[in-house]
Amino acid sequence: MAETVNGIAFAILAGAAILGAVGMLTTRNVIHAAFWLLESMIAVGGLYLLLQAEYLAVVHVLVYAGAVSVLMLFVIMLTLRRREDSVRPVEVSVAGAVMAFVFGGVVFAAIAAYGDRVAEMPETAPDTAALGELLFTRWALPFEVASLVLLIALVAAVWWSREDKR
Amino acid sequence: MLSGYWIFAPEVIIVVGAIIALFGDLLPGRDRTAAYVGAAIAALAAVLAATGGTAGPMIFGQVEPDEIARFARTGIAALTAVWALWVAGRGMPDERRRDAVALALFAAGGGMLLTMAEDLIIMYIALELSTMPAYVLMGYRRRDVPGLEGALKYFLLAMLTSIIMLYGMSFLYGISGSTAFVELTLEGSGMLGVLGVMLTLVGLFAKMSAAPFHYWAPDAYAGAPAVSVAFVSTVPKIAGIAVMARLLHAVASDVGGLVTIMAVVAAASMLLGNLAALPQSDLRRLMAYSGVAHTGYLFMALAPDTAAGYGAAVFYTIAYAVPSMAIMLVAAEEGAGLADVGKLAARRPLVAWSMVVWLVSLIGIPPLAGFFGKLYVFGSALNAGLVWLVVLGVLTSVVSAGYYFRVVREMFFGEEPAGGVSLERAPAASFALAVMAVATVAIGIGASPLLAALGVVLG
Repeated sequence: MAETVNGIAFAILAGAAILGAVGMLTTRNVIHAAFWLLESMIAVGGLYLLLQAEYLAVVHVLVYAGAVSVLMLFVIMLTLRRREDSVRPVEVSVAGAVMAFVFGGVVFAAIAAYGDRVAEMPETAPDTAALGELLFTRWALPFEVASLVLLIALVAAVWWSREDKR
Repeated sequence: MLSGYWIFAPEVIIVVGAIIALFGDLLPGRDRTAAYVGAAIAALAAVLAATGGTAGPMIFGQVEPDEIARFARTGIAALTAVWALWVAGRGMPDERRRDAVALALFAAGGGMLLTMAEDLIIMYIALELSTMPAYVLMGYRRRDVPGLEGALKYFLLAMLTSIIMLYGMSFLYGISGSTAFVELTLEGSGMLGVLGVMLTLVGLFAKMSAAPFHYWAPDAYAGAPAVSVAFVSTVPKIAGIAVMARLLHAVASDVGGLVTIMAVVAAASMLLGNLAALPQSDLRRLMAYSGVAHTGYLFMALAPDTAAGYGAAVFYTIAYAVPSMAIMLVAAEEGAGLADVGKLAARRPLVAWSMVVWLVSLIGIPPLAGFFGKLYVFGSALNAGLVWLVVLGVLTSVVSAGYYFRVVREMFFGEEPAGGVSLERAPAASFALAVMAVATVAIGIGASPLLAALGVVLG
């Protein structure tokens, strides 16, 4: 029974995520596109929740659905002069669609051929405390390097936005 | 227990040096001092990397500072030092130096970490650390709109290929249940394993500007200041080749057909790079296509999955990076058009003759670095039975002489460029160029002990 419920929830959330992505690509209004992205992000957060990754789900909703989407809306608000500018032409690329379908087909065939061999999963998913411990012990090095990457992003942002001369 | 971590001293001090350079405003002499400090710290890091020895897997097996890593780390730090020294002497066009030097040091630190990566996560994050500063360097002139457009395109394409790479990595993790290179067991994974490896490699192919993922390079380079191109087109490549050697070694035995894939990409890069470079009249474009071609030679050594091949590839990146950086720095002094180096021999005979050394080394004529690099690359491919690839490599090397000698002809028999401004004296920059000229000869003469240090024995 639990399997079925999980399956239904997965189908709804995955469908919502794909719908959001398709909606984002096909809408003509960039503000609508930002909201479609938000919808897709929330659906992906739900998928994480289904996988018992509560921390990842919360962070995903906070950062991507919260901060990133709002940032995009702000960028659109600050860069658009008139309401009409938010409407863009929809570019239909047949070649792009063909490539997307071929790639999707290849990925699907590869996963289908691989079958349902999955690595052994633990009984219960590790909780947030275990994640934190791993992050600051075993994965401390990439964690610290990531902070350097963010520092560079900060320096770059300051470099391009500052006006003064040498 | 902590004593083993001294081996990472070069990375630590190079990052500290980057932060010091960022605050260069507070140093006496300000901007120029910051660049000198950056150069000195990078040089110190190179010495420490060369003398720091090697070790087995460290930090939960995520990094392994072995012989290949030591060689590549030394090369990255040394080239960064020379570049920073040149910047201290001549400066960045229209902008101040210290941010550029800081960013270059960050990129070098990331690249040095990348050469040791033994884990997909470290590999990804180190790759980002080594390429993020490159976006800024490529768009360093803030008031140059076409240059910024080129930098933006470069950024978007690099991000796209990073995402593709992450997608591939997710498959590799899903199959093997681990991100460590040693635990990537793809045996029997069939098409999914091949797909995962291919998608992961696409990210690296694009960063190394291998055909058919090279299309961003010529446009991005042509819009950027030549001094930025000198750094971006050389130093990250050393790190990229070192980590590719590690990744390929980890997966090559499990994934059939990888040799063929690498050989085909190598052949395409050599053909496309060398043929497309022929008609170019902008040195940055010419060197961009030349870089594509040299990536082809490097991949030729990586293809057969032999220790000798990996060593030869890392040696050849250095043999390629030194002259390539030097040529772009001269282009930064004289102007990036081919006509701008016209009659250089009359104006600056020493620089012109150094240029000849660098260009001849890139073609692969003894006794310079490039010759021994190509010799070992071709040798390792021959040992693996890739005869057709070696024949193609030799033929395209002959083709490459066509465009390299065009630069030589321009320098000795060309027209004096109109309205040329005489350069002010910059001893630091001249010293940097001299170091690279000497290094091109010295690496060639000292090739066999260097390769022995890399563990390359050509049978």
